[in-house]
Amino acid sequence: MVFALARLALMGFVGLSVIYVLVSIYSRSVRRERLEERWEAEQIGGDREEFVRAGLAEYDGSVRRKLILGVYVVPVIVIGTLIYAINYW
Amino acid sequence: MRYVKWAFWSVLILVVGGFLHYTMPQQDIVRIVNTEVRRVDVGENKIFWAQTDVANTPTTVNRDVRFIETIRPNGKPIVYRNEDTGWGWPPYFKLDSSNLQAEASDRISSRDNPQWVVMRHYGWRNEFISIFPNAVDLRPIDGPDVTLIPWLNIVILVVFLVLILVARQMWLQFRERSIDPLVEDAGEAWDKVDAFAERKKGRLRRWFDSWKPK
Repeated sequence: MVFALARLALMGFVGLSVIYVLVSIYSRSVRRERLEERWEAEQIGGDREEFVRAGLAEYDGSVRRKLILGVYVVPVIVIGTLIYAINYW
Repeated sequence: MRYVKWAFWSVLILVVGGFLHYTMPQQDIVRIVNTEVRRVDVGENKIFWAQTDVANTPTTVNRDVRFIETIRPNGKPIVYRNEDTGWGWPPYFKLDSSNLQAEASDRISSRDNPQWVVMRHYGWRNEFISIFPNAVDLRPIDGPDVTLIPWLNIVILVVFLVLILVARQMWLQFRERSIDPLVEDAGEAWDKVDAFAERKKGRLRRWFDSWKPK
């Protein structure tokens, strides 16, 4: 049991890490695009790169970015619920 | 080319559909007539069987498998195996086969005085390769005429669809932001090379022309 469970945990961690990285890249890319569009639309002026960099720095510290950690949390909760529902309910 | 496309999509739908149909839970209304344990030597049909119970030695050649023999409301038999899926695939995390066997034995009923149960299971019954659906859990019901709404399957399919759409959106974003600019750059670079070659060729051509008799 320990071996099979460890294998599942390890493979799950690797798989979820790949997903975590991909989602992080995606989310950051969307944020960057939005910042660029906002700079364009609202005629903010000044250096565009500087505006985008400041916006992304703000994003890096945001709760929204930390929500991506849910990629790890949600499957663990789902599996725990499943184990309970299938075996003990 | 159109047929190739059709063939591709048909095969894809068949494979994905078959995979989902095998793996996702289904519910049958049945009457349990017997529970038993048989020794099984799994061979070519290996992928349609689970492994031995969780935490037992997984390397033995043959093993005992619990079976639940049932009759459907139309009188036809359907036999389930009752195996742990453990921590492997499919992800049911079923560890309580022994308990399920006890519950099933508790519900054995006769034709004259039937006790109907809903048997949740996954997998297929196929006589040609001796495979059986794996029972996951059961619950008693009053009669065989209840309508079962597969809520679980609806939820799973919706989540599956959402994940596909998210992945597609991620790919589109990646293409728009990362690949298209590269391709544009490459296109511009190629245009430059083209123009340069054109200029060189012009010069060479003029040099050739200078040798031609006027």
